[in-house]
Amino acid sequence: MSDGSFRRVRSIAKKEVVEFTRDWRTIIAIIVIPLLMFPLLFILFPILLESEAAELDAMELTIVIQTDGLPTNLAENITLSGINYTLETLPNTTSLSTPGPDLERVRNSSADAVLRFESNEDVWGYAILHLSTSERSNEARYRVLNVLAEWEDSEVRERIELGGLDVNETLDPLRWDGEISSGDVATTGEQSGMILSLFIPLVLAIWTYSSAIQPSIDMTAGERERGTLEALLCLPCTRMELLFGKWLAVATITGVGVLLQIFGLLFAIGYLASSSFIGVPQLSIVSVLLIVLSIMLFAIMVVAFELALAMRSHSVKEAGSILAPALMLILFPALFTQVINLDGIEGFWFAIPVVNILLALRELLMNRVITEHVIIWAVSSIIYATLAAYYASRQFSREDIVTSLS
Amino acid sequence: MKKSLLSIRDVTKHFAEVEALQGISLEIYSGEIVGLVGSNGAGKTTLLRLMAGVYKPSSGSVLLSNGESVTTMRQELGVVPESTGLYSRLTAWENIRYHSRMHGVSDEISWARTEKFAEHLDMKESLGRHTKGFSRGMRQKTALLRALAHGPNILLLDEPTAGLDITSARTVRALVRQLRDEGGTVIYSTHQLAEAQQVCDRIVIIHNGEIRADGPPKKLLEDTNTHSLEEAYVSLTLDQARTRKEDNDKESAFTGWWRRLFTPKTPTTTREVMESE
Repeated sequence: MSDGSFRRVRSIAKKEVVEFTRDWRTIIAIIVIPLLMFPLLFILFPILLESEAAELDAMELTIVIQTDGLPTNLAENITLSGINYTLETLPNTTSLSTPGPDLERVRNSSADAVLRFESNEDVWGYAILHLSTSERSNEARYRVLNVLAEWEDSEVRERIELGGLDVNETLDPLRWDGEISSGDVATTGEQSGMILSLFIPLVLAIWTYSSAIQPSIDMTAGERERGTLEALLCLPCTRMELLFGKWLAVATITGVGVLLQIFGLLFAIGYLASSSFIGVPQLSIVSVLLIVLSIMLFAIMVVAFELALAMRSHSVKEAGSILAPALMLILFPALFTQVINLDGIEGFWFAIPVVNILLALRELLMNRVITEHVIIWAVSSIIYATLAAYYASRQFSREDIVTSLS
Repeated sequence: MKKSLLSIRDVTKHFAEVEALQGISLEIYSGEIVGLVGSNGAGKTTLLRLMAGVYKPSSGSVLLSNGESVTTMRQELGVVPESTGLYSRLTAWENIRYHSRMHGVSDEISWARTEKFAEHLDMKESLGRHTKGFSRGMRQKTALLRALAHGPNILLLDEPTAGLDITSARTVRALVRQLRDEGGTVIYSTHQLAEAQQVCDRIVIIHNGEIRADGPPKKLLEDTNTHSLEEAYVSLTLDQARTRKEDNDKESAFTGWWRRLFTPKTPTTTREVMESE
């Protein structure tokens, strides 16, 4: 690339970025939302869940216990768990689970649940009638089940002791010796890489595509619709320079958006989890360089593809209606890639578009550099990126891009 | 003898089945204002875009005096398209500077030229303002400043006074004449005959993609034996202007079926009227 050509590409990219960032909606879409999305999701959502759980815990619930004889300690424990109950005799039903005449009282919430408890000498039978669509009824069922489980546990222990056996030896005859975590020979860095590989490639793929939609449309179909493209095409720059300048601008804006989102995600995870949950992955220089290469190839392909589709469109509306559903082309392979087992994976997976880069990222984040895989994904990605760039250059070379619907 | 700056030789331009220009030959000389006059759809904008190198001719050539194609020598041209093409989130000066940089002209030189012409167009105070709130006249003047900032040899103006108020239109016309007086060459597309007569040294009448007349206003009157340019224009363009029927012909089988599906059929018989209710 000559000096003049480089200068023109830089001017185009700079102007596009300046113009794009002067729109406050862009700042929100590209900077504020990516930065805040995950922290809000990961920090506020658990806070909300906790407050809802506390509210449920404080709730006084009312149940009906139908029984032919309730053990005293069980009745005490039910009261201690914040449940008020009334005792009734067992109804005449085929099984305890058959709602029978109690169906309506649970459905209309006159009782949060009905516990049926029947003694058959040494074994008891029970059933809980509840309404699964009601929070109160679910909570009542949950508390009763907890009390019953504790009561059953103490009954089991008592019977083992009465039989003259050691309770711990009988209930827990097989035990792990030592620290469980000491058995994992993977290093902390490798474990961190493994955790990161589960979401970083997914976020990277989806966010790269989706955050490139708006700038791609604005800089192509938007220019066409606003009539600014004609003046631009009269300038002494080639269509390739124009494409490259716009690609650079979209890639810069998208890159910032993706980086901020990953930063927000890591911050949220770090806040939510203990420091041992996630750390810095242990990566070799080769892995880091290959990660950068794979992201660049992916960005070239995706942004060129989006610019091409947007440039084909006569209006912003048309471009939006093409680019938004095309997200599926990234989303499905990205989700699919998450469930592929990397151990003993066949080489052909690394030649499938989108899947290849995502698998490569997963491998590299776990510091696995397998030469055969690297060659396949690098060569296939270069081919796909070249094809996307060629397709984009064809769209930018069309004469009709100068015309607009307006 | 005037020096030829731009040579259009036997140029034809097709868009699919439509022949937008047919065998156009035109010589543009330095220091003249050439008016391209014609009705809507006559081919004026297509010809201007060919001169600007935005379109490539289907046949024939558009060459500068040195034999180079306009696409390789765009720095020789200053273009004001009909839509002006200003970026609304940039200031007037930023719009001008962007184009100048693309032409390889330094900001200092560009600013000096802009300042000079902005004074003339009463735009100096508005150069630092975003163009979003500009009136049509201010947008047109900014586009003109942008086209002049890099010092082009040929200025291509597509309907430069369309939608402008009387004062703004007068200012633009005065500037065009001033540029000519300073040795510049201007190609001025318009469908206003009176304006062409007022501004242009030479008028080229285009109709249905063909040049019907080319010469100074006085010569056009003599050649057509008429007393006004309007009469001359009418006598030269008696055949009906092209329609855009071809747009409908291009409808694909699928879109045609889709359109018919959602277009209510007008009832013609009593039974159809009853069924439609």
